[in-house]
Amino acid sequence: MSDDRREVVVVPCSGIGKPYGTVSREAAYELCDKLRPRDTRLVALAKLVLGDQEARQRVRASPAITIDGCKLMCASKLVQHSGGTVAREIAVLDVYRRNKGLKPEGLAELNEQGQKLARVLAEELAEAVDEIGRGGTPPGGSHA
Amino acid sequence: MPEYLEKTVDKFTFRVATDRLYSSEGMWVSLVQPGAPGRVRIGLTDFMQQRSGDVAFVSVKVPGTRLSAGDDFTEMETIKVNLSLPAPVGGTVVEVNEALELTPEVVNRDPYGNGWLAVVETARWEADRARLLDPGAYFSLMQSQVEQELEKP
Repeated sequence: MSDDRREVVVVPCSGIGKPYGTVSREAAYELCDKLRPRDTRLVALAKLVLGDQEARQRVRASPAITIDGCKLMCASKLVQHSGGTVAREIAVLDVYRRNKGLKPEGLAELNEQGQKLARVLAEELAEAVDEIGRGGTPPGGSHA
Repeated sequence: MPEYLEKTVDKFTFRVATDRLYSSEGMWVSLVQPGAPGRVRIGLTDFMQQRSGDVAFVSVKVPGTRLSAGDDFTEMETIKVNLSLPAPVGGTVVEVNEALELTPEVVNRDPYGNGWLAVVETARWEADRARLLDPGAYFSLMQSQVEQELEKP
């Protein structure tokens, strides 16, 4: 990332024990560790729930991408509750609807389709990171 | 606007509309034109959609399909389960809700309204109606199903 581009915080849901929650976290790791490591910073939802000051400061300082495993949209809501700005919110279910063959199953370890779905999601979000970095508003955003 | 019977458990409130009939499998049936037997609209109950979770895909028998009560009618994939539900009445499918194709979440958002599944031209309405549950009877059944859910580990 060039110095004039903004860092994007990525907040996946914590739907432990649900395949769609696992997809959200796997996609976040793929995005932050492999696809856009210099442009993104992963923030754990649990830290926002606990009111961790450092985590809250991070989401207030940078635009956020939230990844939610279900329609409760906990990640998106927690970012907004913490004073952050959601530049792009995405629900794993919506991505699955566009990729019907990639049915995620498994909890601790996703099946092959679930892993592919996580990669598809991560690639989609990488484009959103680039768009945010250029100062644009990607589709699906934004909520302050 | 229909009135509802309601049961609240924890953070969930389950509603049963009082202006229609129900199958024990969690489908509702209402006359398209009240007082005029012939065509009925069919949908999923509020309890059934909440218990099943967010809907990913819905497929309903296409228009022209002839059904007997109990035949396979709709298949749904949700974030929790794959559902196959039987037709609550017999007849011919004449219309399927087009919104289900692009926005299947309408089943979750508005199960008794815009989330309807299909319209069926009934073949034996009086006989089918006799097998359906009135709102009070379905509400009692739903309450027992809720209690069974609560007892699960």
